[in-house]
Amino acid sequence: MGGFIGKRLLAVIPLFFFATLLAFILVHLSPVDPAEAYLVAAHIHPTDEILAQKRHEFGLDQPLPVQYAQFLMKMCRLEFGTSYLSNEPVWEEVAKRIPATLKLAFGSIVLAVLISVPIGFFSALYKNGIVDHTSRLIAFIGASIPQFWLGYLLIFFFSVKLDLLPVQGADTWLHLLLPSLTLAMGLIAIYSRLLRTTVLEQLEEPYVLYARTRGLKERVILGKQVLRLAISPMLTGLGMNMGKLLGGTIIVEEVFSWPGFGRYFIEAIFNRDIPVIQCYVLLSACLFIVCNLIVDLLQMALDPRISRAGGAER
Amino acid sequence: MNAGKRKSMVLLIAAIALLLSASLAGCSKPADTQAQKNNTESQTPAEKVVTLSWPRDIGPMNPHVYNPSQLIAQSMIFEPLVNYGAGGKLEPALAESWTISEDGREYTFKIRQGVKFSDGSAFNASIVKKNFDAIMKNVDNHSWLGFISLLEKTEAVDEFTFKLKLKEAYYPTIQELSVVRPVRFLGEAGFPDDGDTSKGVKASIGTGPWMLNDYKTDEYAAFTRNPNYWGEQPKVDKIVIKIIPDGDTRVLAFEKGELDLIYGEGIISLDAYKQLEESGEYETKLSEPVAARQLVLNTANAALAELNVRLALQAGFNKQAMVDGVTSGFEEKADNLLSTNLPYTNISVTPVPYDIEKAKSYLDEAGWKLPEGKTVREKDGKPLELELIYEKAEQIQKPMAETLQSEWAAIGVKLNITGLDLTEQIKRFRANDFDLNFFSNYGSPYDPHSYIHITAEKGFGIAEALANLPMKAQLDQQIHDTLVSTDEKKREELYASILTTLQEQAAIVPISYVKKMVVADKKLGGVEFPANRDANAFSSLQIIE
Repeated sequence: MGGFIGKRLLAVIPLFFFATLLAFILVHLSPVDPAEAYLVAAHIHPTDEILAQKRHEFGLDQPLPVQYAQFLMKMCRLEFGTSYLSNEPVWEEVAKRIPATLKLAFGSIVLAVLISVPIGFFSALYKNGIVDHTSRLIAFIGASIPQFWLGYLLIFFFSVKLDLLPVQGADTWLHLLLPSLTLAMGLIAIYSRLLRTTVLEQLEEPYVLYARTRGLKERVILGKQVLRLAISPMLTGLGMNMGKLLGGTIIVEEVFSWPGFGRYFIEAIFNRDIPVIQCYVLLSACLFIVCNLIVDLLQMALDPRISRAGGAER
Repeated sequence: MNAGKRKSMVLLIAAIALLLSASLAGCSKPADTQAQKNNTESQTPAEKVVTLSWPRDIGPMNPHVYNPSQLIAQSMIFEPLVNYGAGGKLEPALAESWTISEDGREYTFKIRQGVKFSDGSAFNASIVKKNFDAIMKNVDNHSWLGFISLLEKTEAVDEFTFKLKLKEAYYPTIQELSVVRPVRFLGEAGFPDDGDTSKGVKASIGTGPWMLNDYKTDEYAAFTRNPNYWGEQPKVDKIVIKIIPDGDTRVLAFEKGELDLIYGEGIISLDAYKQLEESGEYETKLSEPVAARQLVLNTANAALAELNVRLALQAGFNKQAMVDGVTSGFEEKADNLLSTNLPYTNISVTPVPYDIEKAKSYLDEAGWKLPEGKTVREKDGKPLELELIYEKAEQIQKPMAETLQSEWAAIGVKLNITGLDLTEQIKRFRANDFDLNFFSNYGSPYDPHSYIHITAEKGFGIAEALANLPMKAQLDQQIHDTLVSTDEKKREELYASILTTLQEQAAIVPISYVKKMVVADKKLGGVEFPANRDANAFSSLQIIE
């Protein structure tokens, strides 16, 4: 198991380098000069002299490989620089906003799991029944409705018409409900159908027949064995969707005025606040990598064959 | 993995999940308490609270910095020496009166006595001087403001007399002292130890009617009345600014009653404004023009260097229909380059009427003929093809660009339209890399002097675009003479001459006047628009019982 984790951790290093390279290239592909972006954000009229001075200050007059090496060194030291817009260290600005985004992402995952697992499981057990048909409808809607529109619909219905929940803000759990649901709908659509399929597959496996022959209770077979194994692909999906989920928070944070990192990122894009953009790209990549690692570990815990396979390779 | 290990792994995962839930619950606790506190506060029967929304966090409340600090909030806490009143009338604020030396270089201000900062400290000439010193430490950041770049010396003559001296006469100095930033005043206790406010302030201490009472980044800012305010106290006890970045959410929050007021420029969509207006449930109001939307025709382009082509383009589109259609009557058709509620701008102009036939004859006269079987005019084998750049995220510019494209096609002009990010649009404008571009003047209290300044000064885009006007050198001289003139009458004449020339040359086409809007709950009274485009309008608000 140690070897498996070690191998997975080693694989993170090239991924991290790739992410830094991508962040660097993306910024340099943009036609906007970072020095000019800084001056515009700082409300300083960009004369040629000031532009040259800023380019030198930011190291933009160095050759690109040197710039990348400097950028990489800074990233390794977790130095994300200073925001062009606020003049505050990017990391401090980001750290202030990350808890809200994580809260939203976590809330939506909890909702997605709480809703999609029973729906998926019972759709499989009662195939082509009313639960199955309803879950199919939910999946169609969840997968095809744009998040921003769903957000407005939920606000209009639950907040404006029924007056049950607040429109915006982040003070209480009530505030978390609608944005989490908006974000979770896409996941619910995918996972409920995914779980349905895998449960149906598992039900065909010989071990289910053996278990039944051994006289195990149906509840035990379904709950302890079938569901446990069927949930594994869903976990992989969750890990893979973490990055997508963070992308989704940008829209949801905007619609629900959620004070998270996504909204801050949007502001940074509009103002070409390059240190913030780079920080966002890198953090997203790191989060994506870490989430996938966690999912692998979880899967290993749920299905010991995975770690045994890893061991066999060794 | 054996069963024991598996069990401990599952336990570990369960523990992590529990920890995460606990931490999230922990995160929410102070917020819950805060919300309860807010609710309790807002439920106090005596307290009159007005809640409105703003698209961005108010940022650091420092009078000497720009983005991301929001002008509307800065203007609530910090005050100027001079106030910009209706019609551009300059009124005493923290300065009771002022005198200007004959050569127009020395300004002496009598500082208002008895004014206190919100922390109770006294406002006097030495704190004025200290603020000016802090501003001048970062003069490059503020050199866009004409009088700052000309400032030679400031002096606290005595406790209530402050003097500033310029390198040369500059008539808009008093008007520029009324801008919301950077020339507003921070109390002594707010200054950092090194006196350099560009890096931040210790506390937001001002003399204005409001004090920042409670603030949560990206969520809200609550302002209460400053008990030491020297002027008439505001009629409501508290202003809460909720940060709602999305226009449609703003409307929904307003309809639900979470907001009492929607205020600003382009703050909600035109459709949403119309819908709220037509519901009859709310008070809706549009301001006087705050800026003029214009089209800049770059005379560096050989075709646009010809007056007849510029006139043809002006005559070749139905401005009234375009403005009404695109803005749903939210903006007003503009004939003057600058709206006439600004100082010196009330000049009479002869608008170029919409006349397709006239437009065609202008182009014929300029030698741009329509070849047989073709739809685009040509001259010396070159087609009359132009590019209009517009900001793609702005809701008005794109439909206007499309309208112009279709209208001008009818007179044989091919218009290519290119949507750009704002930064890119500004960059191309400054680099003189465009044929036509949308532009807007700054509004009060920056205009008209800033507007004529950038038509002469290179680096902003306009001066370069006008470079091929035959009388450009003469125009530049007139602009310089206006800005240094100490003779009011002469200034009036010069402004009239400059604006008339610009108007006649048709290289800048006035399109529409932009307005601010208000949608308010009917229980709210005293909803007025400030004369200063950037100032707040909250002191006059009152809740009608």
